[in-house]
Amino acid sequence: MRAQVVARMAKVILTVDDSASVRQMVKFTLSDAGYTVLEAVDGADALTKLSGPVHLVITDLNMPNLDGIGLIQRLRANPSCKGLPIVMLTTESQESRKQEGKTAGATGWIVKPFTQQQLLAVVKRLLG
Amino acid sequence: MMDLNKQAFQDEARELLVELEAALLELDHEGNDPEIVGRAFRALHTIKGSGAMFGFGDISGFAHHLESAFDQLRKGQLAATADLINLSLAAGDQIKKMLDEAAGAGRADRGRSDDILAQLRRLTHTPDAEPVRAPALAPAPQMVESGPAREWRIRFRPTPEILLNGTNPLLLVRELGQMGELRVQADSSAIPALIEMDPERCYLAWDMLLTTTASEEAIRDVFIFVEAECELTIQPGVAGGPSEPASDVSRPGAKGQRPPDTDAGGKAGGPAATASIRVSADKLDQLVNLVGELVTVRARLGEVAARSQDPDVVAVSEDIERLTAALRENSMSIRMLPLRATFERFRRLVHDLGADLHKQVELTVEGAETELDKTVIDQLNDPLVHLIRNSMDHGIETPEARRAAGKAPTARIHLSAQHAGAYVLIRVSDDGRGLNAAAVRARAIEQGLIAEHAQLSEAELVALILEPGFSTAREVTDVSGRGVGMDVVRRNVEALRGSIEIASTPGAGMTVTLRLPLTLAIIDGLLVRVAGAYFVLPLASSLECVELTREDIAEAHGHHLAKVRGEMVPYIRLSEYFQMRTPRPEREQVMVVETEQGRCGFAVDQVVGDHQTVIKNLGRFYRNVPVVSGATILGDGTVALIVDPHRLVQNAIGTLARGGARSGTAASKSQLSPDNPIHSKGNTINVA
Repeated sequence: MRAQVVARMAKVILTVDDSASVRQMVKFTLSDAGYTVLEAVDGADALTKLSGPVHLVITDLNMPNLDGIGLIQRLRANPSCKGLPIVMLTTESQESRKQEGKTAGATGWIVKPFTQQQLLAVVKRLLG
Repeated sequence: MMDLNKQAFQDEARELLVELEAALLELDHEGNDPEIVGRAFRALHTIKGSGAMFGFGDISGFAHHLESAFDQLRKGQLAATADLINLSLAAGDQIKKMLDEAAGAGRADRGRSDDILAQLRRLTHTPDAEPVRAPALAPAPQMVESGPAREWRIRFRPTPEILLNGTNPLLLVRELGQMGELRVQADSSAIPALIEMDPERCYLAWDMLLTTTASEEAIRDVFIFVEAECELTIQPGVAGGPSEPASDVSRPGAKGQRPPDTDAGGKAGGPAATASIRVSADKLDQLVNLVGELVTVRARLGEVAARSQDPDVVAVSEDIERLTAALRENSMSIRMLPLRATFERFRRLVHDLGADLHKQVELTVEGAETELDKTVIDQLNDPLVHLIRNSMDHGIETPEARRAAGKAPTARIHLSAQHAGAYVLIRVSDDGRGLNAAAVRARAIEQGLIAEHAQLSEAELVALILEPGFSTAREVTDVSGRGVGMDVVRRNVEALRGSIEIASTPGAGMTVTLRLPLTLAIIDGLLVRVAGAYFVLPLASSLECVELTREDIAEAHGHHLAKVRGEMVPYIRLSEYFQMRTPRPEREQVMVVETEQGRCGFAVDQVVGDHQTVIKNLGRFYRNVPVVSGATILGDGTVALIVDPHRLVQNAIGTLARGGARSGTAASKSQLSPDNPIHSKGNTINVA
């Protein structure tokens, strides 16, 4: 019984991006699909948002304070975030950065620009 | 929804452009500071990335080239030359035009974009005329029906470490299941003995038979994130199902191979997102108006409740008062904005003007975090632009002249903001030549503002530049001196119920101080009664209340001095000041107020109490009464004047300084007549 209750609870996704418009798009898209979306404006901010349950992190790479790679490294260094799926948002020109992100421990990536359907497909793939 | 996103992008892009501009101007001063280059790069990067997301391909493509230049800058392959900075500033403006165009205002000139990019290529030594390439929106991976359903044999063996990067292989298998009919067999042969098993490692592999209409690419796409972390074979299948089934595990991942599931023990109502929303300023204005009405009605309710003497009604009225106060505070704080954006905008102005006038000027900013009501900020822009233009044009000398005067060739303009009670002081100071009192005097006589032999103090002379039509500039320059001078600034500031003070030291510079109310709508006031009339004093500048008895008055030997905690504080009797002839009451109360001239008291008949004061304008007729900043309506409908303690004290001091004798008659236009202050048409200019 309890397991069912837990399963039905909305999964929490943290979107980390210094671009408010991207955060808004991610938030609208995923909220519509029934996820709970938290927002963080950069990597440092994201680290403060992890006190509660978070099931997936979607992070931009280029951000002030703590960038996406740094955030992924910090998350992977934290035992409680070991299996946490992390999606990075990259642009085409960042092939090397993508590899860097993979090495740091990112689970997947989305290449900007992306559509709402693409975003949902990736989230479904990693979160079910 | 897409429109909302577009709007969000446009708003964001505008903010980023401001940020970009600020960074560029800082670069102009600081050289290649990697931190600042990084800021400019990020701004461009976001404009490019988000622009492409929301259908602004041209903006994105344009920003892409700039971004590349800043990437080179970041890597030290390029220097932040003045040319590059100026070009980038122009490019920022061009992006702004493109945004305007997208918003339906004006047209952006494509030729200009090409020009800028061509210049950029020259500066960055990018040889080829690479076509403007907007990162196009990749087609969504659709489940394209590619012909009839086919059978695929798929073998998927992830590396044992795959769980550590957050991948759940089970979900990938399930995703395949959604593409068609899927039969799965798990290969559990690699599972070690329990004692050797590491629960964070994955020991399973899967053999699958998928019947789908999707293409091989679509199937591969499912595994795109794990390509490097698995063995994957996808082959067109032959009828008959997966060969050599290793075991008959019916459900993949059934052997406790689930990745750590963060669901467990999840608390409901996790951390709330601290998101912000954009609201149109109109709605905020409406809100504040409504709160203003509410405050007025509340005052009436308080009045009625007090009369009814029904404890229940009184209790309700008090609750409502508390809530109204909280609501008011809240709705006011929503409208408060830091001055930063306004101040930052002037960096560009100073930069551009400096280039036009061939003057070297550095702008320093202090107190940019000071918050002010949005309405005040909006109306502050023009006066400040004017003051800065004035400083740059008239005040600041050319580098040669400065050197000759023994000053550093680079001049300084300092913009500062600070709180002072219910007011904010905004100062624009420069270290230029200051005002030439003799020139001001000559010009004022020429324009008939003062009589030829008028005796004016330096401060009074300086104040003359605020008079309409006054300009000392001999010729009209491009920058200032078009005849609309400081009086425009004064009118703007007075419309905000603020005041201007000018201090000038010949040869060393000039400081203009704008004193502005924090808010234009509602303040906390102290309601006092004087000879049957009511006045409101702003609570923010009030310090304390002391009682003044007949004995105290006798002890002071006719001087208006009150003893407050052993200290003598001068006071002004409001009834005397406003010429209200009533007998002096047995006891008076003195409100002690902190002003820029030091502490001062106001003697009143009675302090009635706190009053949430909705400020109403006095109207055209009384606009020029400087000591009263507005009026408010009390619960019973009576009108109470709101006193500006600061100006009242200044006026009183001014009157004293003139010894009551009407000297300086020539300037009497700007004197407050002590006999009849309310009806004076004087424009009192407060001069520090």
